Amino acid sequence: MIWQLDLSVLTLIVICAFATIMVKDLLSAAIIFGAYSFLMCLLWTEMGAVDVAFTEASVGAGVSTVLFFAAVHQTSRKVKPRKSGRWFSKIIALMAALLTGLVLIIAEADFPGFASPFSPASLHLSPYYITQTLHDTNVPNMVTSVLADYRGFDTMFETAVIFTAGLAVIAILRRYKKEDRCDLPEPYVISAGYPDTMIRFVARQLVPFIQLFALYVVAHGHHSPGGGFQGGVILGASFILLAVSYDSKMIIGRMSEKWNVLLGNIGVLIYAGIGFLCLLLGANFLDYSMLSKVLPATDKIMARSHGMLGIEIGVAIAVMAIVISIYINIISHGKYDKVE
Amino acid sequence: MQSIIAGYNYWIYILLMMIGLYAMLAKNNLVKKVIGMSIFQTAIIVFYVSIGAKEHATIPIIAHGHGHGAVEAAIDAAHYANPLPHVLMLTAIVVSVGTLGVALAICLGIHRRYNSLEEDEIQEQLQ
Repeated sequence: MIWQLDLSVLTLIVICAFATIMVKDLLSAAIIFGAYSFLMCLLWTEMGAVDVAFTEASVGAGVSTVLFFAAVHQTSRKVKPRKSGRWFSKIIALMAALLTGLVLIIAEADFPGFASPFSPASLHLSPYYITQTLHDTNVPNMVTSVLADYRGFDTMFETAVIFTAGLAVIAILRRYKKEDRCDLPEPYVISAGYPDTMIRFVARQLVPFIQLFALYVVAHGHHSPGGGFQGGVILGASFILLAVSYDSKMIIGRMSEKWNVLLGNIGVLIYAGIGFLCLLLGANFLDYSMLSKVLPATDKIMARSHGMLGIEIGVAIAVMAIVISIYINIISHGKYDKVE
Repeated sequence: MQSIIAGYNYWIYILLMMIGLYAMLAKNNLVKKVIGMSIFQTAIIVFYVSIGAKEHATIPIIAHGHGHGAVEAAIDAAHYANPLPHVLMLTAIVVSVGTLGVALAICLGIHRRYNSLEEDEIQEQLQ
């Protein structure tokens, strides 16, 4: 840990946070928020949380920014000033924020020293994970082993939360019939972009490599930073790149709404199915060691490693489908397939 | 000076939390409120990852030899950062993109109905 780097990155983060809140143009706010996420990513690499940094780089700085762009593109870009000076509500909000801060600063006195190896969080459960992960599961990346094995139940429901979020976006935005159309003028027709040969060519050449990289991230998550969540988001981002450089029709032709929801389902079902398979083989739910009975030439330890790979693939499929689904719903304002 | 450096991460997380909370409460524009919510989320993630950090520790991936179960030396827990907060926050980030999508979808739905994203204009139309 290099404290000079820590201090400077943290200062830049606070400046970016202020700028995002203060700037009047929503598109600028989205871009500054992307920079904020990227600085966060640097901060976490610096603190040793490489998997968190990887997730933030792909999710926070990548997909979130694109989602903000899509939403701003569909609504209005400028923040209008308030008509009447409602300074009273601003002062109340400021008081609430300051009061919360004050309470937290008082509580901060009780926190363990920063980066102390003897803080309570690092003494009880985590030493077991650190020392036993290679012995128990043969997976050197302990973040992956905790995520997919020791706390696999937790992660299963996180995947279900992502799936539910995708369904919620469809329920809120999707318009099936002509009558559901709003009376407002359609903000933009998505397919009427300016055909730019350079951007299209470069994007087209990049997509296979991005997808190959995503598969590598999923498959190599046991030994290096990465895993199902990051790989799935990168896979989704490769499709979003095509949608941005061409138009949404191109993606909808390849990943229709039906396929998206189906793949989201399949991903969650792969996860839960591996859990039930363990149950059928006589172990606990998501206890992969019994998979050695089904998988050829594996002992109990390797079976846990392979079981983790299986559920990472499920997570990647679900996350990819849901990210694409959310993006297309927002950019087409809920019209999805029927983009004129 | 030493105590300032020691507490710096915690102070910054408190400051970010205040910025996020203020934006959620005071900003008139709905997209700005959503950005405030995202800043609030990242503030909490900073807090958790700061808890997991350890002095003189490396990233939570064990350096290992090739081959099946090749462990050369005993593993000392003090040499690796705490992986548990990382796992919790990794999933929290991915869930945050889900909540962001839902929040933006609600904003678009409101814009579809009231043709505005400003809180005071929507309130005028509601009355």
